[in-house]
Amino acid sequence: MRRRGLAVALAAVTVLTAACTAREEPAAPRTPGVPGPAEPGTLRVLASSELSDMTPVLERIGKDTGITVRPVYMGTLDAVDLLAKGRADGAYDAVWLSSNDYLRLRPDAARKVVSETPVMTSPVAVGVRTATVRALGWKPADVTWSQVEKAVRDGRLTYGMTDPARSNSGFAALVSVASALSGAQSALSDDDVTKATPRLEEFFRGQKLTSGSSGWLASAYRRRGNVDALLNYESVLKGIPGLTVIRPRDGVVTADYPLSTLASSSAATREDVRRLTEALRSPEAQRDITRRTHRRPVVASVPPAPGLDTGRRRELPFPGSRSVADGLLDAYENKLRRPSRTVYVLDTSGSMEGDRLDGLKSALTGLTGDFRDREEVTLMPFGSRVKSVRTHVVDPARPRQGLDAIRADTARLTAEGETAIYTSLEKAYDHLGTDRDTFTSIVLMTDGENTTGAEAGQFEDFYERLPRERAEIPVFPILFGDSDRAELEHIAELTGGRLFDARQGSLDGAFEEIRGYQ
Amino acid sequence: MRRIAGIVLAVVLIGGVVAAVVAGRQGEDTGTATKTVRAVIGSEKAEFFADPDVVKALAAKGYTVEAETSGSWAMEGLDLKGYDLAFPSSQAPAVELAERYEVRGTLPRPFYSPLVVVAHRAAAEVLAGNGLASLDAEHRGTLRMGAYLDAARDDRTWQQLKGADRHGELSGTLFISSTDPKTSNSGALYLAAASYVANGGRVVASEADLDRTAPLLRKLVTVQGAQQTGSDAVFRDFVSGAGNPLVLVYESQVASLLAGGQQPGDLVVLYPDTTVNSDHTVVALTGNGKALAELLGSDPALRQLAVRHGFRPQGAAVGFASATTYLKQELTGVRQAPVPTSEVLHEMARRARG
Repeated sequence: MRRRGLAVALAAVTVLTAACTAREEPAAPRTPGVPGPAEPGTLRVLASSELSDMTPVLERIGKDTGITVRPVYMGTLDAVDLLAKGRADGAYDAVWLSSNDYLRLRPDAARKVVSETPVMTSPVAVGVRTATVRALGWKPADVTWSQVEKAVRDGRLTYGMTDPARSNSGFAALVSVASALSGAQSALSDDDVTKATPRLEEFFRGQKLTSGSSGWLASAYRRRGNVDALLNYESVLKGIPGLTVIRPRDGVVTADYPLSTLASSSAATREDVRRLTEALRSPEAQRDITRRTHRRPVVASVPPAPGLDTGRRRELPFPGSRSVADGLLDAYENKLRRPSRTVYVLDTSGSMEGDRLDGLKSALTGLTGDFRDREEVTLMPFGSRVKSVRTHVVDPARPRQGLDAIRADTARLTAEGETAIYTSLEKAYDHLGTDRDTFTSIVLMTDGENTTGAEAGQFEDFYERLPRERAEIPVFPILFGDSDRAELEHIAELTGGRLFDARQGSLDGAFEEIRGYQ
Repeated sequence: MRRIAGIVLAVVLIGGVVAAVVAGRQGEDTGTATKTVRAVIGSEKAEFFADPDVVKALAAKGYTVEAETSGSWAMEGLDLKGYDLAFPSSQAPAVELAERYEVRGTLPRPFYSPLVVVAHRAAAEVLAGNGLASLDAEHRGTLRMGAYLDAARDDRTWQQLKGADRHGELSGTLFISSTDPKTSNSGALYLAAASYVANGGRVVASEADLDRTAPLLRKLVTVQGAQQTGSDAVFRDFVSGAGNPLVLVYESQVASLLAGGQQPGDLVVLYPDTTVNSDHTVVALTGNGKALAELLGSDPALRQLAVRHGFRPQGAAVGFASATTYLKQELTGVRQAPVPTSEVLHEMARRARG
């Protein structure tokens, strides 16, 4: 995976922001992103964010067993990287990801795990608006990936999915699609991926929504109203009203949520994890799980919740080598998906002088290690007004050139003037036409309140008058320094974005987390 | 060279750390003064030693067992000082441990369990209809390993089999899912059985045998993509309706499920006509360890409890109660392939997994 090294390192300490427009997001732990010290009877669990819906089940089990679970949510790839680097040693007592498939491809991470026990399962599925299913004349039980592909190609189906580099559901969806469309009869090989590239490119042209988390994906889907389908785990899709959940007949990748013990923890801790696992696999807990979360039980005596179709599906094998898995991700990010196009509206007012500006520069410079091929990046520093508008594209033939230019522009940023948030945002919207087929968004970083230029009300009027395509461009504000949470939250809500908090974590972390939404 | 591969493997092996599982049930009605026996066991026996009835039966004979689990292959990497016995799930790692700790004489094998393939009814019937298996009871049959390996060699797909088109889930390459042979016993034993058949009914022992069988074994493994590291996980996935149509597990897992009164639906147990037994073998490191091994093999109550957990005690036909339509009472017609030496098996796994 090219150009991810630093990004991954940064993401590992990324702050999980609870306060945001997506209400399904997991509640932040006491200090966000930090597991905290070991406590008897408490298990610090490195977990996939999809597992936040297990809170009530875990609370009940906690009453019976006396074991409290303190989760820290993280994307699978970042979690695996954390394990591999040894940074989970002593910081976590257990790992609970949607799947350990990717973990197994990294021997340095796999070595950290002593035992793993699947707790429940959920296959990747396609949730399609019921009206669209009817329009396409589909019989849900018979739909294949090829039919989904054809509908996308014919322009009759658009969809959203999470970013495979940051979310397990996106990664599993990517593997499902690639396996199915490549025609591979067994585990994907590098050749299969290469061969399937043209078909995959066409398929991913239909992806109109991307997200760093399943929660925001669902709210963005509701808000947009013009996206026909979502690719995600069956359990997530079942929770979204109005979707017909289709498990393609020609194969799925299934998450089995293995609760895993760690070599770095003590025997007593592993015993607690084992007790927790046993409790989760009791028939009562399994019934509770399937009823509440729409996942499938792993105990033969408990049937899946009503509404979960029990027809069998072929299990598409997960790639058996890291080169295939990483190659597929790399292809997705740099070749297959629609490119991203982002305006960074950056507060460089007088109050940014000193550490704050230095922090911004270093965060932006770090971010250049994570920009994808074909990505268009516009830097729009502002004070009393927008100071400059500089656009760079990462050309796959000469990626260094664009990235160097971004770094050079970053180095030249100076702090001066007042804070014209709304005027600058309007300028960003004006800059972004809808002429290109991209994932388009605006990032707003400010360390203070709006002090000059357009007022909030004026910006609202401006936004309401935007043509639909442009109004679909979300603003992702970053809370930093003395900025006003209510003001920024309002901007996120108005534009369908999401607020990120760099006050408790770092600016690097916030920038990095937003990558999943671009 | 191979020695080094072995050492590296041992380090990589999952379960390289011992996990405490049972520390004897305190406060049980032990009455008499008991001897405490410390054991390192394969994880599949953790439930057995944790069973309150087993604890009671052992206490009645004056023993408290403190069992800690470890991957069978990972025991090679442990310092067993202070332990009374090691109890891996097959003979090969036991032999290696015996050599290291200079344990002489025949190693006791109180119970065993053959490897079987579980399938859903539809898959089993398609296999039977195409000469790859035969069914002799509603939930039981025999897998023809020779025919299966031929199919694997030819990259046969389900679509090429008669009758598979009626079942949407039966598509893609025909293969058996196993655990990772580099880290897990059942995956390694799968290679042992397959290599025995592929080697013309002879156990793989030489470099030439390894060379001859490697391409097929590699195929059996790579076709699976990412593999699980424990037989428990693959069986759970199967029970939940996910995963590959054919999965290699221990018979004891199925027996234990049935004994627990669970309804496994349309599950069919296919006994490979050539399989490998998982011989739960004791390496007694002290007198107490030796005494416990003897007790496990001879005490009627403990033998009966082993059956409850799905194991077959040595030297007796088992009555797997109420499981006769799924399980064979006696393993007649099932050929037991000998397992290659630990060193050969490691090398085999290394070449297959890559």
